Amino acid sequence: MEALNNLMYGFSIALDPINLMYVFIGVFAGTIIGMLPGLGPMSALALMIPITFNLNPATGLILMAGVYYGAIFGGSTSSILLNAPGVAGTVATSFDGYPMAQKGMAGKALAIAAYASFVGGTISIIGLMFIAPLLSKVAVSFGPAEYFALMVLGLTAVVSLSDKSLVKGLIAAIVGMMISIVGMDLQTGTERYTFGSIEMLDGINFLVVALGIFALAEVFYMLLRGGKKVQKRNEIGSLKLSMSEVKEMAAPVARSSVLGFFTGVLPGAGATIGSFLGYSMEKRLAKDGDTFGKGNIKGVAAPESANNAACGGSFVPLLTLGVPGSGTTAVLLGALLVMGVTPGPMMIEQRPDVFWGVIASMYVGNIFLLVLNLPLIPYIARILDAPRALLLSLILIFCMVGVYGLNFSSFDLVLLLVFGLIGLVMRLNGFPAAPLILGLILGALMEESMRRALQISGGDWSIFIDKPISLVLLLIALLSLGLPVVKKMIQKSRSA
Amino acid sequence: MKVNLSTPLKSLALIGAALTLTAGMAAQSVASDWKPSKAVEFIAPANPGGGWDTLVRTAANVIRTENLAEVNFAAINVPGGGGAVAWAQIARDNRNDHKLFATSPPIILVPLAGTSRFNHTDFTPVARLITDYSIVLVANDSPYQDINDLFAAIGENPRLSVGGGSAAGSMDHISIAGAAAAAGLNAASVNYIAFSGGGEAMTSLLGGHVEAVITGAGEAVAQLQGGDLRALGVSSPERIPGLDVPTYKEQGVDYTFDIWRGVMAPKDIPEEALRYYEDLFARMMETDDWKEATERLGWLDAYQNSEEFGAFLDGQLEQFRAVLGELGLLRN
Amino acid sequence: MLRLNINQLLAVILFVSSLGYLWMAFQIPVFPIPRPVDSDAFPKMLGLCLLILSVFLFLEKVPANVAEDKTSKEADVADDLPQTGIMNPKMQVLGASVGVLAYAFLIKPLGFLAASIILGVGLAYWFGYRNHVVNFVTVGSIVLSLYLLLSKVLGIYLPQGIIPF
Repeated sequence: MEALNNLMYGFSIALDPINLMYVFIGVFAGTIIGMLPGLGPMSALALMIPITFNLNPATGLILMAGVYYGAIFGGSTSSILLNAPGVAGTVATSFDGYPMAQKGMAGKALAIAAYASFVGGTISIIGLMFIAPLLSKVAVSFGPAEYFALMVLGLTAVVSLSDKSLVKGLIAAIVGMMISIVGMDLQTGTERYTFGSIEMLDGINFLVVALGIFALAEVFYMLLRGGKKVQKRNEIGSLKLSMSEVKEMAAPVARSSVLGFFTGVLPGAGATIGSFLGYSMEKRLAKDGDTFGKGNIKGVAAPESANNAACGGSFVPLLTLGVPGSGTTAVLLGALLVMGVTPGPMMIEQRPDVFWGVIASMYVGNIFLLVLNLPLIPYIARILDAPRALLLSLILIFCMVGVYGLNFSSFDLVLLLVFGLIGLVMRLNGFPAAPLILGLILGALMEESMRRALQISGGDWSIFIDKPISLVLLLIALLSLGLPVVKKMIQKSRSA
Repeated sequence: MKVNLSTPLKSLALIGAALTLTAGMAAQSVASDWKPSKAVEFIAPANPGGGWDTLVRTAANVIRTENLAEVNFAAINVPGGGGAVAWAQIARDNRNDHKLFATSPPIILVPLAGTSRFNHTDFTPVARLITDYSIVLVANDSPYQDINDLFAAIGENPRLSVGGGSAAGSMDHISIAGAAAAAGLNAASVNYIAFSGGGEAMTSLLGGHVEAVITGAGEAVAQLQGGDLRALGVSSPERIPGLDVPTYKEQGVDYTFDIWRGVMAPKDIPEEALRYYEDLFARMMETDDWKEATERLGWLDAYQNSEEFGAFLDGQLEQFRAVLGELGLLRN
Repeated sequence: MLRLNINQLLAVILFVSSLGYLWMAFQIPVFPIPRPVDSDAFPKMLGLCLLILSVFLFLEKVPANVAEDKTSKEADVADDLPQTGIMNPKMQVLGASVGVLAYAFLIKPLGFLAASIILGVGLAYWFGYRNHVVNFVTVGSIVLSLYLLLSKVLGIYLPQGIIPF
């Protein structure tokens, strides 16, 4: 009951006309920024700091939170239509969203993304409301050893993500990890594989790789082989979902939302890892798992609900611990400090208006997003009707602008081209791209947490099995690797 | 020199200009007539959200709202290499008098560690503005009651883990290693665990994954209020107002460590421009807006003018060089 | 005669690259303060994995469906594109690559607007779009609105170059 009272209090703040207006501005700006490939919510948020100087803290955070989850919401659009992820968290959406669009079901894919995002967002708000303080305990229970185990579990997904040849999938994952460790090593300050360039000291930006491997490689591929004509043109903008499809997606959306939310709660994991975990979990659980990657509706619904839920979850460590889990939440933290609100264990008591106001505003914002996006889908989907040559040229421009906007670095543009060509070679020869991205996301984190854990234990490897959470996660990882083998053996013995 | 003075008026103006110029050089305290002619690029050499970024945005905002300058101070983020990317860009543009950047200990530490070709001597110090101090935290149920308990324990158990928010060999590590050295330990005996931010380090402490954490006092305030963490000592020369934590010095460890932040300009800007900016920041720190902002952000004013700041930086270089040398991390 | 299939060719390339990668891993300096796992361990492991996997790739049988893909590729190309001159698919990819490189080096001197419009219009032409008016108007208006959004609304600093706007 107390939570409901608090929520009512929150709504009294969120429904204030001025706050309502800022929610709207926030989610609207967020959607647009999210749709542009590459350009993430971080720079947009940084530019809003001066605006928030003059706002009351609750209003300021309502605006900035709106931009953040709005961007994750809108990021799926360019993933689905152009294979060019708008924000890092929507890379996994392109695995099945883009094939759906190529089959002429762009509108349907976008609609699924919107509904799944809405559900994921809403579930995460409910979680935030009822168990945020409790969850901060979950967040702190994850130390280096636990993170390592989580990353190992995440990496087992390589097996399910490499469809035809396991060897090629593993090679892709290794290359992804190799890319991820470029730059200065946090544990020692040593440069690795930077070739002496200061531009590489911070490593290679995730979105440069993702846009290269997915969007640029796709453009090259279409140029080389001639793009397949989008079929069933009349259905392109149709949003219709059948009852059986809704039923089919209900469980995956619910599961992925919960999974995504918990991933978001862990600082340092976040929306990108959440969406990959959601995607690979559903691929493994689905009876039609082998159609994932070819335009399966669950392959769109799972990562989209997971990334939006993770976005909500990331507010748990931000508000209750004062710990930003990502670059974007670091900007939010900075803005809150500037406004004189110090997030931390006392925040709910000290500034209930900010805490509950923002949570309530997220309900409102999610509804705004759905209402704003659904009617636009038929029009946005028509982008694919543009003449092929013009469309390809525009995709290239969008990718380059997005990459340039990350760091204003020409060097990044050259890297984009390199990864585009690597992506093309991979595509032409049956190397899956998803494991590479997975290795890229998890590789450096895995190494870092492993070495941190071992340094704490003084080089004693038993730290990974002494800690219960770590042990359980590692066992699940082992199980998920072993299960397919066992399944196959059973099938063989049956057929024999 | 050949000057064609066609009208008396022009010559008068010229003499006037010359006079101001000499006056400006002779008496440095007098504000010069130099003024920026277009927007000033105010660079934070990092991504949005960190200390440099907050300083740049706050200062730019105060300058605007208090109408301290006729032109806009545009906050620009140039992230990369812990600052090295921005420093390289600014060093290349060494005559640009419409460019400033925020600075702090990394400008000395990063070059010493060998990952930047440019150090503080490649730029003009404008002013030191604020400072924060290092603070050592432990969990509330930790057996260590003061900083000497902790150092004694480190002396006995070299595995005792101390987390920090930056890479090995950078700010937090130097701060705790230097303190340990001052307490009579070998600087390298601190088992420093690098996390990717002070917040992440404190989370690890809350979960009991590390034994102690070193971070900025400003960052730790919220956690201390929460009551799950306890502070053993702070690296300031005197107690920080409003923060009931004893200094290292009070506990017999003769060591201070400043996390100072200031403003620098390219190396070869004209003297008058330097005077202008020096004066501007001095005036900025007198405004109510600034005072209000520093209070909200938990910053402590620590103004030094260009000359004092430059001398201070040279002193810092020696201090850091000694600690890095003892750690065996000196590469430059 | 020994004839490598494409998989084997890639396997050889990967094998050689992983040797280079490993060589670099052995150059990573040892950290002065002893660490249980130093900076070089993970790269060495990755290099070794890639080395072993490249051998597996060399030995892997080429599945039948790759050959299948090849025929469908030829059909596609024949359907869609003439094979001569700049419309040759390889020339198309080359042109796009040169375009991205050119953009990387021209965005600062020419500025965001000019570089983006020239490249957008040029690439669309290269890809075979021949309605110049529509091309220019579409690319121009999209680039302009992007510029206005980024630079005027969001306040992101973009190089102005030859169009001081």
